[in-house]
Amino acid sequence: MIRTKKLDEKKLNFWESIYIVEIVKGLVVTMRHFFINLFFPSRIITVSYPEENLPLIGNAKLKSLHRIKLRKDGSPKCVACMMCATICPSKCIYIEADETENYVEKYPKVFNIDMSKCVMCGLCVEACPEDAISMDTGEIVGGSYDRFRNYKNGGLFLTKNELFRHLPHETISKSGAANRLANKYLEDKND
Amino acid sequence: MSLDIIKSDLIQYFIIYKPQIFYLIETFVKIGILYGAVMTLAGVLTVGERKLSALMQDRVGPNRAYILGFTLWGLFHVVADGIKMIMKEDFMPKNANKILFTLAPIISLVPILFVFAFIPFGNYINIFGYTARFEIIDSNLSVFLIFAFSSLAVYGAFLAGFTSGNNWGLLGSIRAQAQMISYEVVMVLSILPVIMIYSSPSLSGIISAQGENISGFVPKWGIILQPLSFLIFFTAALVESKRAPFDVVEGESEIIGYFVEHSSMRFAGFMFGEYIEIVLFSMLISIFFFGGWQVPYLSDSGFTLGNISIPVNHYIKVILELLSISVKTVVFSCIFIFIRWTLPRFRYDHITKLCWKYLMPISVLNLVVTAFFVRAF
Ligand code: SF4
Ligand code: SF4
Repeated sequence: MIRTKKLDEKKLNFWESIYIVEIVKGLVVTMRHFFINLFFPSRIITVSYPEENLPLIGNAKLKSLHRIKLRKDGSPKCVACMMCATICPSKCIYIEADETENYVEKYPKVFNIDMSKCVMCGLCVEACPEDAISMDTGEIVGGSYDRFRNYKNGGLFLTKNELFRHLPHETISKSGAANRLANKYLEDKND
Repeated sequence: MSLDIIKSDLIQYFIIYKPQIFYLIETFVKIGILYGAVMTLAGVLTVGERKLSALMQDRVGPNRAYILGFTLWGLFHVVADGIKMIMKEDFMPKNANKILFTLAPIISLVPILFVFAFIPFGNYINIFGYTARFEIIDSNLSVFLIFAFSSLAVYGAFLAGFTSGNNWGLLGSIRAQAQMISYEVVMVLSILPVIMIYSSPSLSGIISAQGENISGFVPKWGIILQPLSFLIFFTAALVESKRAPFDVVEGESEIIGYFVEHSSMRFAGFMFGEYIEIVLFSMLISIFFFGGWQVPYLSDSGFTLGNISIPVNHYIKVILELLSISVKTVVFSCIFIFIRWTLPRFRYDHITKLCWKYLMPISVLNLVVTAFFVRAF
């Protein structure tokens, strides 16, 4: 026994069966859209990413472009512990440590993030013991044809010049053991 | 000494063959103008189609290709697409017929291009006493020649599918045969009443007959005398250009089409042929039904309506006439695009049913009624 399915085709009345009226009706709909969009292009809701961005809503801003927070004296809070570089699943963080004279004794001489590899997972932020690296800038990384050009010049490569920065209206962070050490060093020096 | 002899000989020849030389130059200039315009329009249409359809669907369309930072509303995508097509791999299936496979895109492109030679794209221009007509080949049977040559293009679609050794391509070819040959008949049948009314089988005759006015102020255009013919011809033109709603030949979502194995510039040949076909049919529609290069009320003596008459400079008149047919062609090309992006695809049996059960009898009836009226009055 073959199972069959009976389709109920709607019977067309005369005007529908000669198509012309229905075609004109269809054209009226598409033409209305066409002319409205032609004369008022701002009505098209397309966002030309990456030139334009929608404002990020809620906590979405906590998965945006990386930065390294700064201390009171302007030095990076990062202590070059390599935690973020180790946990990063795409191995896109490159750090070279160096010595500094304050009580922390270690700072990143080179801190590069290759944003063409980053998957924006946020694990580096979770791993950081000093609350140094964070993804709270609210900027969205756009597409680019050149991954090794500097981010400032339209590329995807972040060096410490782009990473080490305060956000506008930011209160300087007090968290982190190394941060307190560094601040103590400042006080001792001033005494 | 000898140089002088050659010089005087050349001048002699020039004087003897002056009309021929002028005719040669005139022909090359006309070819340059017409084919330049047609190719440009077809090229712009490839991007224009995407742009117009985007606007119809609330999108922005292609806008990224740029030269020196200028995007020009996406017009550079013509160049980008061309470069892309050339760079693609030129693929030839193992069991394809090498010669016919290569020939297919050429066959679908060349006859269509050739047809433009018969099309009058302006009246005439008089430069310092030398009169040139805007028509590359002046034939008094041009209507029939046009249909004879444009139907050759169907062979391109056949051969492409049959010789590529691909079953999808074969299906596309079979559909192309059934659909395009049946509509070829309807198309010619729908034009016969127009030929009868204007009592001329040549395009320039049809156009100049449309310059007259009915009862003084309505232009004697084909659309007014033969609206039914217009609808049938337009439908047949949509079918011939293999576009939605009659795009079962291509049917991107099911069989991809007769050119499924053609890649690179071979595919570009089919694709570009389709757009040139749109331009051709837009031109034919404007010639048969909208007066071709005729501007309403404009004649040699200027604008005349009843007793009022405004004289117009000859060169301005020529420009107005050239503009007239260009605007009509562009508008109809746009209508082709609008129709494509508005209507869904016809089912295959509905297409043939529409042709043989409705359009064919209607056009024959139209023919008979027109013949009766032409004879009676
Ligand atoms: S967000 Fe993830 S992928 Fe990107 S740098 Fe941090 S850990 Fe690596
Ligand atoms: S985990 Fe934090 S402190 Fe350690 S290297 Fe990365 S950013 Fe610097």
